[in-house]
Amino acid sequence: MNQKILSLLLALVTMPVLSQQSIESNHSSEDIVAKPVINDEQATEQTAISPIEQSAKVPTALQWMQRLSYSIRNLNFDSSFVVVKNNRAEPYRWLHGVDENNELELMTLLNGPRKESVRVNDNVSYFNSTLHPYTVKADAISGPIPVAFSGDIEKLQQSYDFVSVGKSRILGRPAQLIRLESRDKQRFGYWLWLDVQSGLLLKAALINRNGDLLEQIQFTHLLITEKSSDTLNQLLVAELPTTLDVSHQVPELSWQVSWLPSGFELVNTKRNRLAGINQEVESLMYNDGLVDVSIYVSATNEANRPVSINQAGATVLLSQLRDGYEINVVGQIPSDTAKAIADSVNFN
Amino acid sequence: MNENKLQAVSSLLDQQPVDENLLTELTDNDTLNESWSRYHLIGDIMRGETADFIDSKLSHNIASAIAAEPTLLAPKATTSIAQKVKAKVIQLGKPFGQFAIAASAAGLMILGVQQANNEGDMTAVPAQVWQPLPMGGVADPVSYNYSRQDTAQPSQQKRAQIERQQKLQAILADHQMQTKLHSKAAPTEVSEQIDTKQPNKN
Repeated sequence: MNQKILSLLLALVTMPVLSQQSIESNHSSEDIVAKPVINDEQATEQTAISPIEQSAKVPTALQWMQRLSYSIRNLNFDSSFVVVKNNRAEPYRWLHGVDENNELELMTLLNGPRKESVRVNDNVSYFNSTLHPYTVKADAISGPIPVAFSGDIEKLQQSYDFVSVGKSRILGRPAQLIRLESRDKQRFGYWLWLDVQSGLLLKAALINRNGDLLEQIQFTHLLITEKSSDTLNQLLVAELPTTLDVSHQVPELSWQVSWLPSGFELVNTKRNRLAGINQEVESLMYNDGLVDVSIYVSATNEANRPVSINQAGATVLLSQLRDGYEINVVGQIPSDTAKAIADSVNFN
Repeated sequence: MNENKLQAVSSLLDQQPVDENLLTELTDNDTLNESWSRYHLIGDIMRGETADFIDSKLSHNIASAIAAEPTLLAPKATTSIAQKVKAKVIQLGKPFGQFAIAASAAGLMILGVQQANNEGDMTAVPAQVWQPLPMGGVADPVSYNYSRQDTAQPSQQKRAQIERQQKLQAILADHQMQTKLHSKAAPTEVSEQIDTKQPNKN
C-alpha cells in the first residue's frame, strides 16, 4: 500500500520534469537545425556522416533562397495565388516573362475593384480603380509577394536566419520548406515552401513568435513556359502612365527615432498632408531588407488617451499620444516592437 | 403489374366490394400501395381538393436522408488565430475623389487592442495585458429606440473615434503608398553562378 503511494508520488514529481525535458530537447533540436545556416562549412561536416547525401550535394537554405530570387527573375511563368488574412481571401494572378531584351511582369487582384500592377523592365505602373494611375522607377512590383524575395538574399541574412526544414507536397508538387527566422524577437518569421523543380514560391506563411499564423499566400496554379506569354508581350506596346518623381527635398524634422531593431535602414524622410483628411504629418520609413516600418508624427490637441494597437493580418498600427504629439508606428512587426519604437521617439 | 389488381384497387377506391386478399396485398405490395395513393391523388386533383400539391415522396426522401446522416456527437474544436482574437470589419466612409487611396486600405479587417495607460486604470489592468477592442467603437449597432437624452455625449465621442479611425486609415494608406514608391529589390548580380547551384536542373 505504502509503496503504491510512493510510486504515485514519484510519478507526480517526475512528470513535470519530463515535460520540461521534452521542451528543452525541442529547443536544442532547433538549434542544431539553425547551425548549418550560420556556418556553411559546419553544415557540410554534419551531413558528411552520410556519404550518399554528400554526393547528392544537398543545397543549403541560403542556396534555396538565392534560387528563389533567381527563378522569380529568370523564368517565364503564369501563376495564381490567394492571400489569406483575417478570414479573408484575395485571389491574384501573377505573370512574369523575360527575353533577351525585356523583362515583363503583371500582378492583378481578381476580386473586387480593379487593382493592377505592371512592370516593363525598370518601370512599375500601378492601376487602381480609385486613384490616378502612376509609374515609378523600381525593379520589382510591390504587392503581396515581398520584393525582397526577388532581391538581394544575402542582405536578408543580417536580420534573418535561413533554416531548411523539410520537404512536403504543395500545389501537387514536391516542395522544400525554408524558414526565415528573425535573429531577434523583434520581427515575424516567414515560412516559405519552394518548388523543388523550379525554385519558385508555392506557399508562404507569416508566423509570430507563438507560432500563430498571421497571413498566408497559397499558390493555386503555376505554369512555367519556355517563352513569355502573349498577354505580357502586349505590355510592350501599351502606353504606360507618367512616371512619378519620388526624389524630394529632405525636410528637417524636430524629432528622431532613437531605437529600432538592428538591420533597419532609413529609406525615406518626408513631410506631407495625409490624403483624405488633409492633416500635416512628418514621417520616417525604415526597411530591414524584408519589412517596411513607418513612423508618423503629427501635432494634436487631443486629450490624453490610451495607446491603441490595431492589427490587420501581420500589419500593426500603433497610435500613442505624447507631449501634444501623436506618434503612429505602422508596419509588419509585432506590437511590442512597435511600442518600443514609439517610446523611443525623441523631440528636440 | 397485374391489370386486374389495379382494377381492384380502383374499385376499392370507389368503395365497391373487393376481395379481402387485396387489402393484405395492398399493405404489403409497394407498387400497389403507390397506385392506391396515386389514385387518391388523381381523385383529389379532379375534385379540386388539393390546396397545395405535396409530393408524397418528399417526406420519405427527407426521412431517408436523415437516416443516412452520420451521427455527429460533438464538432471537433478548431483553433485558429481568428478565434483567438476577435476580428471586426470596419466600414469606412465612402471613397471620394483622388483622396480615395484610403479606400484601398479600407478593405482590411482590423482588430484593435488597447492598453490601459492612465494610472487610475493601472490597478485594474496589469501592464502588458492587451485588451482587444473593436476599432472605432462600432461594436454596438445603433438601434432605433436609442434613448434621445444619451445621444449628445456619445455622438461627439463617436465622431472623435471616426475621425481617429480615418486618420489611422490615411496613415496606413500613406505607408502602403510609400512602400510602393520606394521598393527596391536590388537583385544579386551573380545569377549565372546561382544557376549552377540549382539542385534539380530540368
